[in-house]
Amino acid sequence: MSKKLGSLFLAVLMMFGMTAVMAESNTITVTDMFGREVTIDGPVTRVIAMAPGDCEILCALGCEDALVGRGLYCDYPASVAAVPAVQSGADMNLEEILALNPQVIILNDMAHTTDQVAMLEQNGIVVIATEADSIEEVYVNIRLLGKVMGKEAEAEAIIADMQATFADLAARSVKSGKTVYFEVMPLEWGLWSAGTNTFMHELAEICGVTNAFADIDGWQAISQEQVIARSPDYIVLVTGMGDSAVDEVMGRAGWGDISAIRNGKVYNADSYTMTRPGPRLKDAAVALFNFLYGAE
Amino acid sequence: MQMLKGNHITVRYGDNAVVDDLSFELQEGQWLMLVGPNGAGKSTLIGAISQGVPYTGDILLEGADIRRCKAAQRARKIGVLSQKNSVGYGYTVEEVVRLGRYAYTSGFLSTRDDDGKAQVERALELTGLTDFRHASVLTLSGGELQRTFLAQVFAQDPQILILDEPANHLDLVYQKHIFSLIGQWLKTPGRAVISVVHDLSLARRYGTHAVLMNHGKCAAQGEVDAVLTPENLRSVYSMDVYAWMKDMLAQWQ
Amino acid sequence: MKKLSEHFSWGTYVLLAAALIACLLLCICVGSVAIPLKDTVVALWNSLRGLEIPAGISKNIILNVRLPRVLNVALVGAALSLCGAAMQGLLRNPLADGSTLGVSSGASLGAVLALALGVSIPGFSLGGTMLMAMLFAFLSLAAILGLAYALDRSLSTNSIILIGVIFSMFVSSAINLIISFAQEHIKSITFWTMGSLSGTNLSCAGVLALALLLCGGVILRYARELNAFAIGEDNARNIGVNVRRVKLIILIAVSVLIGVSVSVSGAIGFVGLVMPHMARMITGPNHKRLLPASMFAGAIFLLLADLTARTILAPVEIPIGVVTSLVGATAFIAVFYRTRKAG
Repeated sequence: MSKKLGSLFLAVLMMFGMTAVMAESNTITVTDMFGREVTIDGPVTRVIAMAPGDCEILCALGCEDALVGRGLYCDYPASVAAVPAVQSGADMNLEEILALNPQVIILNDMAHTTDQVAMLEQNGIVVIATEADSIEEVYVNIRLLGKVMGKEAEAEAIIADMQATFADLAARSVKSGKTVYFEVMPLEWGLWSAGTNTFMHELAEICGVTNAFADIDGWQAISQEQVIARSPDYIVLVTGMGDSAVDEVMGRAGWGDISAIRNGKVYNADSYTMTRPGPRLKDAAVALFNFLYGAE
Repeated sequence: MQMLKGNHITVRYGDNAVVDDLSFELQEGQWLMLVGPNGAGKSTLIGAISQGVPYTGDILLEGADIRRCKAAQRARKIGVLSQKNSVGYGYTVEEVVRLGRYAYTSGFLSTRDDDGKAQVERALELTGLTDFRHASVLTLSGGELQRTFLAQVFAQDPQILILDEPANHLDLVYQKHIFSLIGQWLKTPGRAVISVVHDLSLARRYGTHAVLMNHGKCAAQGEVDAVLTPENLRSVYSMDVYAWMKDMLAQWQ
Repeated sequence: MKKLSEHFSWGTYVLLAAALIACLLLCICVGSVAIPLKDTVVALWNSLRGLEIPAGISKNIILNVRLPRVLNVALVGAALSLCGAAMQGLLRNPLADGSTLGVSSGASLGAVLALALGVSIPGFSLGGTMLMAMLFAFLSLAAILGLAYALDRSLSTNSIILIGVIFSMFVSSAINLIISFAQEHIKSITFWTMGSLSGTNLSCAGVLALALLLCGGVILRYARELNAFAIGEDNARNIGVNVRRVKLIILIAVSVLIGVSVSVSGAIGFVGLVMPHMARMITGPNHKRLLPASMFAGAIFLLLADLTARTILAPVEIPIGVVTSLVGATAFIAVFYRTRKAG
């Protein structure tokens, strides 16, 4: 009974909404990360976010209600679990998406092809592409999505909050010259670390420590012996491997003389906050800072 | 002495009986010729005897079921020369011939094969391959390859020789040479030969006994003169074979 | 019987072993981190003699990182190459190999299934995947050969390639199916299939060595039978080889070796295909020489490929499969072109 009433109420609301659009002719023009100029008939009330980072940005902007679909790996905030999930990337399924009838779909530049974009656009869906390899680009993404959703003030507030947090951490940190090694894939599958052009690298800089693998670009497989020879002061695991991850690292053969292992400075970080281009990079920075300097 | 006996041998490929309820007997000193048109089932029968083709019925080797016989034991008694002998890798002639001694040296407690080297040498000599012993089989002509495998069978030193078209790829000189060689080999007591032969003159000249096959069945069997009669051949080959051969020979006169 | 000429002489074995040891030492001394030769020698020498080893980077890197890895690489190379040589002889086809036939993919499927179902042996973390990899390697071989015989009894090159392609496609879709059913294991499965030698340790090397000793020993013992099969299965039967039994034993030995190798290092292509070819060009087709030569050649080849993979872009490592495929495919085309031209 109440459900019926609710949907009736929604329908009435929507009618009002549509008349409002016609009256104001609310068009939004943005330039997305593909560098394409995109025009949308606003306001945007039905949107799908494919990438977890974009999903987090939308929710932080207060647009969770407009979210009619999410990529399979979007899992934050926990309440988005109630939103229908769709396949993303190479497995993207047009039918699934059309069934949700979105106005706008926000997808990750790297994970999708221009053919997929064209296919979506032919079906009348506006495509916004996002990409971020640096915190600065995350700000651009937040502004972009803020504009798309008509939440520009909220976007600026999120950015200001992030900037304030980073500035505060930077001010409190000590430039000791100590090094940190980020492990993004465990030894079992071949070690991978993060170099320049990653959030982890920037977060380390903010916290006053040096990335031990600043000589590689992006995420790369590295030699185990390099880690031993570089003997980092801190080891941060971004592998998402669960509770036993630290013990596994502490027990590795030949790693015993690494400074971080000797001093027990191994931290199992939340891999999602550390790697997703979203507002929670701020939380990742705080967590990293607390690990490095000891939580107060 | 009876050496080999087949009782009601049938080989089926699907519903088609390629060898159909065929029985035969091989006595010491006999040279049994398997004769018949293409597709009569001669090679398949040889496949069954050498245990390469599944069959129903029984094949008795010196009175015992050949299926119960161990592979190496069987190979010491029966040597088989297959029709299709191609080699994919460049083994030397000597390596191929030497493998003929496998049955005497296999097994965990492999007995010393004192006799082996001499047997290999004799086989190479008999087939005229001594000079080719280090040649790669990939470089041999069809006839030389055929002789290589014949040498392997000789090295195997069996009591029964089973030959599928031994004259295949051989020119007339070697045909004569090989057939008289086998005839010589047969003179030692305790030996017998079965061979598939297409050339009816050869069959008649060297065979002591014959099985005339047609559509998998035995059309006639017994002593070679009694089997390869003009009438029998005409009914199996659906042509006057006797007149044709006489006509062929008449050209030379 | 003049037996010696078919085997390698002791001198040849000493020479091959010397080449392998030289290669092992090279791969232990050279790596992405430069370690003075003196420290390396001291670390190795002292550990061999059970003496105290001066603590430090060189000890950790040489004894705990490079030595286990180098040993694993050499053993995997030897095992894969030996399997390739055995299968090329058994099936009488120079293109037969674990990777071309799809046996390695089959072993991967088994390992993936073990990961998805959580099959494990207490006390030995690799045990579950290893066992399943062996089992599936054998099942794959049986299925592939069954299919092959149904299509073409003579097992021509074309049908081998065709069946390998079809079977590998089947396996990769089966793996995808398992992944979509086992979302919680998606990460471990995906990364497992990529394979890596960097996490291998001495217990992996121990298992590999044991498998190679047992199964490799069996395969080497059947060198004469393999010669007979390489000439032709009918010929093997005619000279008294127990065709069915020998074939089964060799296939089981090959499956175990491929299963263990795949579960230690992932599927590495081209070693088993190309190295026996190269060895055959020198030793000839006689398996008494070919099998040991293939083992040494496979070990040396994979050692050098791994050395390249871990040093060429240091500190970054590239996947070893990239190196073996690049070198292997080139070498294979060259070898095949030469033999085709000669034949």
